[in-house]
Amino acid sequence: MKAPKPMADLSPAARDIILAFADDEHLMGQQHTEWIGVAPFLEEDLAFASIGQDELGHAALLLEAIVGSEDADIDALAFYREPSDWRSCALTEVNLPEWSDTLVRHWLYDAAEELRWQLFAGSSVQHLADISVRAASEERFHRRHGDALLDVLLTVDDARDRLIASLHKLLPVALTLFDGPPTEADAIAEGVISGSLDGLRAPWQQRVDSRFEPVDWAAVAAPAPNQRTQRHGDFAPLLARMLEVLDLDRSVTW
Amino acid sequence: MTTFEVFLKKDGRDEFRHVGALEAANDELALVSARECYVRRAEGDLLWVVRRDNILHPDRDFTAPNATKPHRHHSGEAVAARRKALRESTQTNG
Repeated sequence: MKAPKPMADLSPAARDIILAFADDEHLMGQQHTEWIGVAPFLEEDLAFASIGQDELGHAALLLEAIVGSEDADIDALAFYREPSDWRSCALTEVNLPEWSDTLVRHWLYDAAEELRWQLFAGSSVQHLADISVRAASEERFHRRHGDALLDVLLTVDDARDRLIASLHKLLPVALTLFDGPPTEADAIAEGVISGSLDGLRAPWQQRVDSRFEPVDWAAVAAPAPNQRTQRHGDFAPLLARMLEVLDLDRSVTW
Repeated sequence: MTTFEVFLKKDGRDEFRHVGALEAANDELALVSARECYVRRAEGDLLWVVRRDNILHPDRDFTAPNATKPHRHHSGEAVAARRKALRESTQTNG
């Protein structure tokens, strides 16, 4: 991947909408990689970790777009911000120790992620458009992985019951994906993204309906929108785990 | 679960080589798993994933008798030795 162009001229709105995506990708990657060694079977362990690594890669590309170069202190932006300065959504912050929940989150997140990259495809920030091409080519395989597992598991009664229960447990928090950051309207006006995150909700809901079962969306109570300015209760321990090694010695070059 | 054997080839060089095995519930999951388990660092350009059941594997007796046929080895040593001996006997006689 070529070095990103300097992004010093990024507007606050552009920065915020990129950060919202970067933080989601970062936390999703972290959540996936926490299954290393404990996924249900070896092949899935490797596959899931690999997918998590891709998400971390996307986060790194997006964060680099903000800091302007690979040499800048990307860790300061990636790890050392006040919780209120993060722009992740609750779906990526919530701790899910059950594999069925995690698998459903993987599918729900990736279904939305595909639509989200499309918002960046024609971005006025050329570097973002470039990143979206690369990410979209990787995401095809993430979705194929999730679908291949669900194709099998949803035909087995016990597995289907657990997955459908996980789906209904996660749907409210999943809707936080479509909560845009405070300056989203400006980012759209500037052409950084081609539409709002909320605009992705309907096509995403159709995908969920056809993948799992028709959902009574009116009965799904989403948390009150907070424009991604507040963190879920699971965020603090998650960030603490992420900093566990980094905090041992921040001066070390990895 | 079904056991699959995985083969990789670098495009333009080498032959397909066996790189390992995996278990999967069906062909699609076998392909997806093979991609993530064996090709995540672009170790190959072409991938074969084969159901182990589809591999023909006769028992050892099928191949064992051929272990005692040194004349089928074409290292050239035996032929070279005979030629050398012939050459020397020709020189002595001439």
